[in-house]
Amino acid sequence: MPRSSPSTEQARRFVAGLVIVVALGIAAALALPLPGQKMGAVLVDDAAGLMDEEQRAHVAEYHGFLLEDHDIDYRVVTLEDSGDISLFAVERFEEFGVGQASQTGRGLMLVIDASRDEVRLEVGYALEGAFPDAFVAYIEERQMVPFFGVRRVADGILAASELIIARAQRAKQHAGLESEPAMTGSGGGGATAGAGLGAGPGVGLGAGPSEAPGRPTRSGFEAGATPRETLARYFDAMDRRNGDPSLPLYTPQTRRMLEGWVMTPAQMDNLVATYRTCRGEPTLRDEARGLAVIRYPPAARACAPFFFERSPDGWQLDLTMMQRALRFGRSNAWRFDLSVAHPYGFAFEDWRFDDKGFPRP
Amino acid sequence: MHSNPTERIDRMEAEGLISPEQAEMLRASISVRPTIAPAAALAPVRRSSALYLLLVVAGAIAVTGLIAFALGTGTEAIQDVTRSLNEPEGHGAMNKTLSTFLAIAMLLILPIAIWVWLHNAMVGKEEAVFEAWAQTESNLQRRADLVPALVETVSRYLRHETETLQGVTAARGQAAEQLGAAIEELIRVDKEMSDHLRALSRDALEEENALGALFAAQSQVGRGIGGVLAVVEDYPELRSADQFLELQAQLEGTENRINVARIRFNEAVAAYNAAIRRLPGTLVASVGGFRRKAYFRSEEEARDAPELAFD
Repeated sequence: MPRSSPSTEQARRFVAGLVIVVALGIAAALALPLPGQKMGAVLVDDAAGLMDEEQRAHVAEYHGFLLEDHDIDYRVVTLEDSGDISLFAVERFEEFGVGQASQTGRGLMLVIDASRDEVRLEVGYALEGAFPDAFVAYIEERQMVPFFGVRRVADGILAASELIIARAQRAKQHAGLESEPAMTGSGGGGATAGAGLGAGPGVGLGAGPSEAPGRPTRSGFEAGATPRETLARYFDAMDRRNGDPSLPLYTPQTRRMLEGWVMTPAQMDNLVATYRTCRGEPTLRDEARGLAVIRYPPAARACAPFFFERSPDGWQLDLTMMQRALRFGRSNAWRFDLSVAHPYGFAFEDWRFDDKGFPRP
Repeated sequence: MHSNPTERIDRMEAEGLISPEQAEMLRASISVRPTIAPAAALAPVRRSSALYLLLVVAGAIAVTGLIAFALGTGTEAIQDVTRSLNEPEGHGAMNKTLSTFLAIAMLLILPIAIWVWLHNAMVGKEEAVFEAWAQTESNLQRRADLVPALVETVSRYLRHETETLQGVTAARGQAAEQLGAAIEELIRVDKEMSDHLRALSRDALEEENALGALFAAQSQVGRGIGGVLAVVEDYPELRSADQFLELQAQLEGTENRINVARIRFNEAVAAYNAAIRRLPGTLVASVGGFRRKAYFRSEEEARDAPELAFD
């Protein structure tokens, strides 16, 4: 059998050794996480202690759904002093690898600076088209900040997340949300606003889009002669961002309930925008008990039914019972809380519901 | 009212919200197409030199040598032991050739490989600089394109106020005057910035003065917008309207993007400048025509950053 000379053998050994070293190097490089990549990313880092344990878990769970259902990697960071919140957000965005948990690189990061009383939602490149700066400023000022004003930080974050979901759903319908993997990272997109933490109720309540600013009025918002008339007036009130809890079109219990509520301009806008596309079925009435329901086809998942009660003044909106009996799921789809008894079941006897209370077409 | 900047300017001019001169200035400020970006157009073909030709020839010789070596020694590398057995001087003849080839190959190939690697690393860093500049420039333009919207919103509101309020108070009149002056100043500095942007030559990224002047001009626009927004604080109705909130968010967002792009550009420049100054990179840089890039910063920042200025 022919043999190689010692020099050839040495050369071969050298090359073989080189190949092994290079291969090991590549393997090690692949095994190591990339800069900024973190395993099991922390969705909520509440260093400023603005939420309790349960609230943190709730926000993390909701944002986990956001990742599952809409492929949006949404992190929340609260801290005492960020220095410059805009720079802090863009740097941490890179450092935490926000968006890497998403298949399509969609990343959002909310930063709340408690000392400077500022909030910033940083938007990654992949979401800039769906969430322009103006939209971000809007959900901060018109949705989060009113909750922050009464120290309900977790509620403010979650309320904003609902609008983020609604926006993502609309963007998907209108092809405004890229489904192809995009570049992660942020180029400074998003918006910063005063957080108004503990500044009291009424912060961030701006003028309505179709009404000149001024004091909310009750005139024109009386109980209607029919449930449909009352509903039209309710939508009109919402369109004018009239959050007055004492409107005569509400039942007395509803008025009491709304007194302690935060009704934000963005919630009202979203309600109007959602129901603009809902086509209601004929009103269903229980004349004996003076109750009525306006419902929408079950396929319209975001269009929850409305409950009405007859009073001497006309039909009034029973938001109290709606608030008790109706729940909204991960994608803003409504369902009944099956553990809650309510007198409006007569209007749904011909429908089927699954074990979680979602109507089935 | 959503429309493109040109339509806005035409409309404002037609309605007499701005003067024809101001309309002209605004028209000159919008959509100045980049003179420097895109990055691909920037990569100049200035690496051709005699030395580069030499390098290519050397590389070709090396590759040919290697191929010849591989083909030529493929079968002869197997030593015929029957011929060299008991011949003390005869056993290494073939191996010596092999060793010589290996030595030459190593001596020739290794420096070339290092050279090529350094050169490519510098090209990569230079591309990163161009890329970062393209981002900065597009954000500057994006802000300039938003200025007509700000001018229109504010001017329209001022006109509405003058028309609806019967007796405008002296204080109100003064505020309106201030706002009018702030708008005028903004249009002026916006035009100046655009002139600077338009005048940038291909080599501008290597000229500290050109970038310094552009930086000063763009800072003026930032201050101009800030000036208008500051006076708007006296108009709570305008300030709290959704349309204004939207515009303000766009302007602030663009300002932040400019800042982020600027920081990233300066970081890319710092990395590139360091690479062309270090040994042995500096040799590659001088032969390859890689020149120091300028930072996009204020004079104060330049003074306060000796470590960057040193590059």
